[in-house]
Amino acid sequence: MSGYMSGIVAILCINLIFAYGIYVTAAAGQLNLGGAGFQAIGAYAAAWLSSVAMQPIWLTIPAAMVITGFVGFLISFPVLRTRGVYMVLATFAFAEVVAGYLLRSKVFGGAIGMVVPDHIDVPVLIGAAVLVTLAVFYLMATRLGLAMRSIHDDEPVSSLMGVNVRAIQVASFTLGGAFAGLAGALYAHHFSFVEAQYFNSLLSIYVLLFVLIGGTQTAWGPLVGSLFFTLIPELLRVGGSWRYVVFGVAIVLMMIIRPEGIVTRELVARLSPRNWFGGKRPALGERHAG
Amino acid sequence: MPAEPILRVSHVCKRFGGLTVTDDVSFDVERGSRTALIGPNGAGKTTLFNLISGVYPINSGSIALEGGVIDALPSRKRISAGLSRSFQNIRLMPHLSVIENVMLGQHSQASGIVDLLAPVSWQRHGRWRRMAEERLREAGLDVDPDGSVSGLPYGVRKKIEVVRALMSNPRLLMLDEPAAGLNPRETADLSAFLKGIAAGGVTLLVVEHDMSFVHDLCERTVVLNFGRLIYDGPTRGVQEDEAVREAYLGSRRVETGSAGRAA
Amino acid sequence: MSAPPASPARRPAIGQPVIIAAGLALAVALGIGFGGKVIAQQIVSGLMLGAIYMTVAMAFTLTIGVLNFLNFTIPTLFMLTGMVAWGLIHQGWLAFAGGSAWLVALLIGVGVAVAASLVVERFTFRYLRTRHGDATEHAIPLVSSLGFLLIFEHLVLIGMGSESQRFAVPFKADIRIFGVVLGGAQLASMVLAVVIVAALTYILKHTRMGRALRTIAENPDTASLLGVEVTRIVPVVFILTGLLAGVAGALFTINYSDVSPFMGDHVGTKAIAAMVLGGLGSIWGAIAGGILVGLTETLSIHFLGGDSVQMTVWGLLLAVIILRPQGLFGTASIGKGKM
Repeated sequence: MSGYMSGIVAILCINLIFAYGIYVTAAAGQLNLGGAGFQAIGAYAAAWLSSVAMQPIWLTIPAAMVITGFVGFLISFPVLRTRGVYMVLATFAFAEVVAGYLLRSKVFGGAIGMVVPDHIDVPVLIGAAVLVTLAVFYLMATRLGLAMRSIHDDEPVSSLMGVNVRAIQVASFTLGGAFAGLAGALYAHHFSFVEAQYFNSLLSIYVLLFVLIGGTQTAWGPLVGSLFFTLIPELLRVGGSWRYVVFGVAIVLMMIIRPEGIVTRELVARLSPRNWFGGKRPALGERHAG
Repeated sequence: MPAEPILRVSHVCKRFGGLTVTDDVSFDVERGSRTALIGPNGAGKTTLFNLISGVYPINSGSIALEGGVIDALPSRKRISAGLSRSFQNIRLMPHLSVIENVMLGQHSQASGIVDLLAPVSWQRHGRWRRMAEERLREAGLDVDPDGSVSGLPYGVRKKIEVVRALMSNPRLLMLDEPAAGLNPRETADLSAFLKGIAAGGVTLLVVEHDMSFVHDLCERTVVLNFGRLIYDGPTRGVQEDEAVREAYLGSRRVETGSAGRAA
Repeated sequence: MSAPPASPARRPAIGQPVIIAAGLALAVALGIGFGGKVIAQQIVSGLMLGAIYMTVAMAFTLTIGVLNFLNFTIPTLFMLTGMVAWGLIHQGWLAFAGGSAWLVALLIGVGVAVAASLVVERFTFRYLRTRHGDATEHAIPLVSSLGFLLIFEHLVLIGMGSESQRFAVPFKADIRIFGVVLGGAQLASMVLAVVIVAALTYILKHTRMGRALRTIAENPDTASLLGVEVTRIVPVVFILTGLLAGVAGALFTINYSDVSPFMGDHVGTKAIAAMVLGGLGSIWGAIAGGILVGLTETLSIHFLGGDSVQMTVWGLLLAVIILRPQGLFGTASIGKGKM
């Protein structure tokens, strides 16, 4: 693999894990526009544990996940008091406060950033991305996933169906935080350097776009969204600012053509292997008649 | 059969701001009965459903289910207490398939950690899915279980909502205008289906405008007007009751035909 | 489930400007009384900055109040005005205007901002009348506006580079009151901001257009039932948005004699903070919030150092969202999405 290719693959893997972190809350109907804040916490936790506390990688990465997950757990209580635009703004503000703190703090190197001694390579990133992807696919297939999706569609009715809405929302923020923290820790160890400026509001915006453009209805969404927006500019071979213009145009068009995201449940059903042979799916009566 | 009613609504009051929408309403629903809740538009019928199912808290009075007061119980716990409901405007989850919508109704029965983390969507022949498919079939719903609910005809979606409510094995089933928007044949089907459910031991409390449906299904009727209870007795007597006639006069009479639907 | 009928206990409208004015007078008096000239100067600078923030915050609050739409293109409309104006002068296309070229350039810049805002309307709101009835539905126009943010910002980067540029204004009439320096440009911009706010308040209160806007804000469905032509009113919101953001951009350019493709980012986020602080959908809230954020910024730079601003402003914002989501003057129902 060339250096250029491995660079793309590395950032794709990290962004994918990050996107799943945002996805698990979005799947339950909660928009998190503070992704960069969570990723920064994971990255700095791993960086500090590795460079200052001199801990090995097998400890820094899980610890970063636990710490960020715990932050997600704590922040979910105030954030879940809000909804709609307020939630978008609250999570956004959270990320700004985190970035503002990191830029100022002496412990974490301030504006200079931190060097991370232990390096991990692309195969590990790929492995982690595959594991997270499988985990989210599994989660969305469970009854818990079903409850999350029903909260996304209709919160009060979900509650009347016996779903513990609050507990599931808190859990999804916690899990989302852990995934974003994992993405941050992997970022820190792969690039061997963290600086607060990287974890800016634009990063939060991009990762939420990956998820919303990909689609929040199925676990395919973040995968397709991340691939789409990492690979399209590469394939179009445009560089610099034109890349972002293309990105912007693609977003606007996508919201007009497929406002529910590229991958919807209907699309998945239509592409399902069960439909490959012999058009119409059997209705209940037909299937059991034979 | 024990004398204790399955549902006891006592002196329930609900105010939104300065507006009293439910004013000192009291009635019992006997176990195994089929009771209708009727009244002109804005009488507070849906509000009463929302209060009983726990969407809003009540201001005063109390609601008891099978003898236990449920006033303080959050809405998600009332379904496992044996109370389940449908909605006036269909509230199926638009992004869930037919079978997923029905299986959501099982949530209160399957909230242990093992059940929550079992991949039900992949278990195509699993216990939960088979139960859900069976209930759909019993209801005479011949639909693609993995299809989207959004494209289905109104009457079918209405019925899926009833099936979803049944999945929690309720002892009291509350239906909010189940016959609204159905044609006469569908209405007759629904009535027969609901009688079957009631015969299986489920108590029915039904909000409905269609008086012929009410006559066919419910032996007892409770009438609300402006948040007050004005009649509680056999359905046969409703049309003869002075207070009820007065309540409906001006807006419309209580009609025996199925045309008695409000806009 | 029908939502409970709301009974908003509205404050008498006259109360809000009085509260703001009294608070301001108190702050200035206290500042001068205790801090002397240095603090007074900080307060004046904060007020000037606040005037810019409040104008942009009004653009935000208008689109949220009427359309329940967090429009992320507003900072780029702000930036477009300054950059287009600089570009026109830089290319020498306004040589004919002589000494007033700066004014012509800024007016054209505002026009471009309004036009860009209408483009955004064409491709976001007209297609995206929300129709999906789920929890993330309000995200759809928001996502589109993020797309436009990228398009506008990077087109400017491609056309004019990423450097910060000087935009000279040929007057510098400083006024001294009790030893506090008031920039002429700053004073003019403060006055203009107040005039715009007053005009907008008048429009919303006393014209047919204003009534139509307020009806839509309360309930779009009822509005169309009452005969309000929603599709014809919505572009008006976007024209006003472009106008407010553009004028704020022009004022900023005059005040700081400096433009850059990123000038909107900083001001835009501060304006969002101002809007939240004042309460979503409230015009007077945007004014009070703008001034508060401007003061918080200059004072926290003065007392805590430049790198503290991000934490103080956003920390304050986070606290307000969580503890008092309706802000100072807003109604709690706006921006929550549907029940």
